[in-house]
Amino acid sequence: MDFDFSQEQYMFQDTIRELLANALTMEHLRNGATEELWEQLAETGVFALLTGEADGGLGLGFTDLALVFEEFGRALVPAPVAAAIVAGGVIARFGTPEQRAELLPGHGEGRLRLSPAFAEAGTTIPSAMTATARPAGTGWTVSGSKILVPDAAAADKLLVALRFGDDELGLALIEPTRAGVALREQNVLDLTARYHEVTFDRVALAASDILGGKPDSATVVACFDAAAAVAALQMTGMAARTLDEAVTYVGQRKQFDRLLGSFQAIKHRCADMAVAVDACRSAAYYAAWALDEAAPDERARAVSMAKSWCGDNARFTCNQAIQLHGGIGFTWELGLHLFLRRIKCEEASFGDADWHRERVIDATLRSMELTG
Amino acid sequence: MDFTYSPEDIAFRDELRGWLATNLPQGWGETVFLPEDEDENAMFRLDWERKLYKGGWNGIAWPREYGGRGATLIEQAIFAEEMARAKAPEGLNIIGRNLVATTLLHHGSDAQKARFLPKIISGEEVWCQGFSEPNAGSDLAAVRCQAVRDGNHFVVNGQKIWTSFAQYSQWCILLARTDPSAPKHKGISFLLVDMKTPGITIRPLRQISGECEFNETFFDDVRVPVENLVGELNGGWRIAMTTLAYERGPEDALGRQLVFRQELDQLLATAAKLQRGNQTAIEDSLLRQKLAKSLVAIEIMRLNCLRAFSKSLKGAPRGAEASMNKLYWSHVMQDMFDTAMEVLGPLAPLTAGDARAVDGGRFQLAFLRSKAFTIYSGSSEIQRNIIAERVLGLPK
Ligand SMILES: Cc1cc2nc3c(=O)[nH]c(=O)nc-3n(C[C@H](O)[C@H](O)[C@H](O)COP(=O)(O)OP(=O)(O)OC[C@H]3O[C@@H](n4cnc5c(N)ncnc54)[C@H](O)[C@@H]3O)c2cc1C
Repeated sequence: MDFDFSQEQYMFQDTIRELLANALTMEHLRNGATEELWEQLAETGVFALLTGEADGGLGLGFTDLALVFEEFGRALVPAPVAAAIVAGGVIARFGTPEQRAELLPGHGEGRLRLSPAFAEAGTTIPSAMTATARPAGTGWTVSGSKILVPDAAAADKLLVALRFGDDELGLALIEPTRAGVALREQNVLDLTARYHEVTFDRVALAASDILGGKPDSATVVACFDAAAAVAALQMTGMAARTLDEAVTYVGQRKQFDRLLGSFQAIKHRCADMAVAVDACRSAAYYAAWALDEAAPDERARAVSMAKSWCGDNARFTCNQAIQLHGGIGFTWELGLHLFLRRIKCEEASFGDADWHRERVIDATLRSMELTG
Repeated sequence: MDFTYSPEDIAFRDELRGWLATNLPQGWGETVFLPEDEDENAMFRLDWERKLYKGGWNGIAWPREYGGRGATLIEQAIFAEEMARAKAPEGLNIIGRNLVATTLLHHGSDAQKARFLPKIISGEEVWCQGFSEPNAGSDLAAVRCQAVRDGNHFVVNGQKIWTSFAQYSQWCILLARTDPSAPKHKGISFLLVDMKTPGITIRPLRQISGECEFNETFFDDVRVPVENLVGELNGGWRIAMTTLAYERGPEDALGRQLVFRQELDQLLATAAKLQRGNQTAIEDSLLRQKLAKSLVAIEIMRLNCLRAFSKSLKGAPRGAEASMNKLYWSHVMQDMFDTAMEVLGPLAPLTAGDARAVDGGRFQLAFLRSKAFTIYSGSSEIQRNIIAERVLGLPK
């Protein structure tokens, strides 16, 4: 029994934190100048971490990345980076040998970009998705559309969640340049990255384009759970950062001849934020562990606990941090809006808090053999 | 990161399970429950504590030389889990076992350890905690209860309040002022007081649940031998801080978590049966969301404890983080009992004894009791001060 990280895992976190402190300043974020970041991060091995050793990777797990994703959130690393790592991890786990050989080495070096395409205008939940692959000859044709695909224009392959017939879901590997695929850059709350709506108009799909060679709902759910857990981990980092910003500010700013942080109304808010952040860590770290080690039911429960809790609480700490900064908190200049905007995107992605809570209680009632 | 138990841990667990299976009363938790009368209940819990001791299961964390098992933190966690699983009663001597013993192990003299520890672990001597006073609660260092040296004794005069279990206790840990001229934190001593000493009067106080667990305790010329001073004269504040650190620790919280989870499971089972309009309460999507919130929050309480355990196992000192744990769970649990009342809906006002009271009125009792969570062991406001100043470093 050990619910803590190893020395190596903490050291890796330090490396990432240092790198991001230099490579990703507020200036970079505001100007969207984060291209070199991919290379710098690739050198640390983050993209190859989930890839099996046979495919040239490190063969590690999400637990080894948990603190890294938290740092991503703290530094507000643009969403396409974590999205690519999730997509790579799913390919490493479910891809055919050919798919792994084609994609993972380039992904590991940060040159080949992967981007998952899940959300639709009507839902972010796999079981409710409508983008569909219909049998056509020896393969399929894909129609439908996905929104908020992280920087689809820069991606080499999209990992698209699709419906195959009535019961089965699957993940398709489709390059954004394939005939019938259209991209439209979207206006999005998050200012640190580009997002696209991707429309598929009778796009041809071969069996070799389907992750694992044939549709398999388990791949979609595993990808969804990984992405939701990574959102929770990143929101934990965002929550921790907004707490730190607030504590630093109220520890320096004076009004009424006193430091704001000496007022109890302010202290108590900060204490509540600290408790919220600590609980985010418990939930999100456990979800990361569950991605690697738990059976699908427990994995789903752990992920849904983390996604709902961390979403609510990152929103809470960010709101508090803005409030505790007063007027400057409301400015474009300060930068807390970047967190506010990003958190809102993460909250809405891969199942909102209400949906995840429903999943938790449904699973709990079923395990207790209670109906309703 | 690893959530599995080692073979030794599993052996420990199985041994405990085996013991519980043969030692809990027949039908325990199904047809046989804790007595309803408060005094009978206390005696039942004391008998249980003595039985635990005979089986070698009381004070398991204590060092072997004082009758414990020197249990690791993991074994303590397993113990808490198994006791909750079996819905075993909680021993009566919580203060003696958890607070007094730990404090004596840290600060007591060899003679004090030899005199007091064996009788705590055997359940022969029950303890209470005489810290709070009418004018010294959150501001505990303001205690006024006085102890004046007279030969080989201290003579104690003053009043304590909210003293839980005083009516069942043989001994009391008492914070008393021994130097009225010193700054308030520097004039306090930590005394061990025999509750049979002449001059002690106990007056029960009725709580909002209707129960009388806590009391007013009066001391009139109570003579306490000087050998019952723990640590140095006027050095009692530091010792009291040790006591409080254990009161807020993860060992305490983990056991509670399991019991709360059982309450919630019971609530879910009840909600699946309760009719509300043309559906059951559990089918109401608003109630489901609230219940799910409690489920998530309670599971996180467990994870918080396990993280704290893991840090302790690696030798991290016990610090102000315990306040985060306590602030978290106390509010989470109050919210859950608020939700319980909502789930009961029109039947929520009906308490034990009414023919229509749901589940014998247990949720009403728990709801009322839960109001204490954010007051005792340091109120929420005090925990927030501690977190802000000692964890976050905000100015005083
Ligand atoms: C069920 C129960 C059992 C107990 N058992 C014991 C026992 O066995 N032994 C024992 O010694 N004590 C016991 N206590 C007492 C408990 O420790 C005190 O009630 C607690 O410390 C609060 O002190 P008080 O009651 O004097 O409230 P006060 O300190 O007067 O506080 C009143 C309110 O003011 C707030 N407040 C106080 N100071 C501050 C501040 N600086 N900043 C902001 N807000 C503040 C408090 O949070 C609270 O909301 C028990 C209490 C309960 C409810």
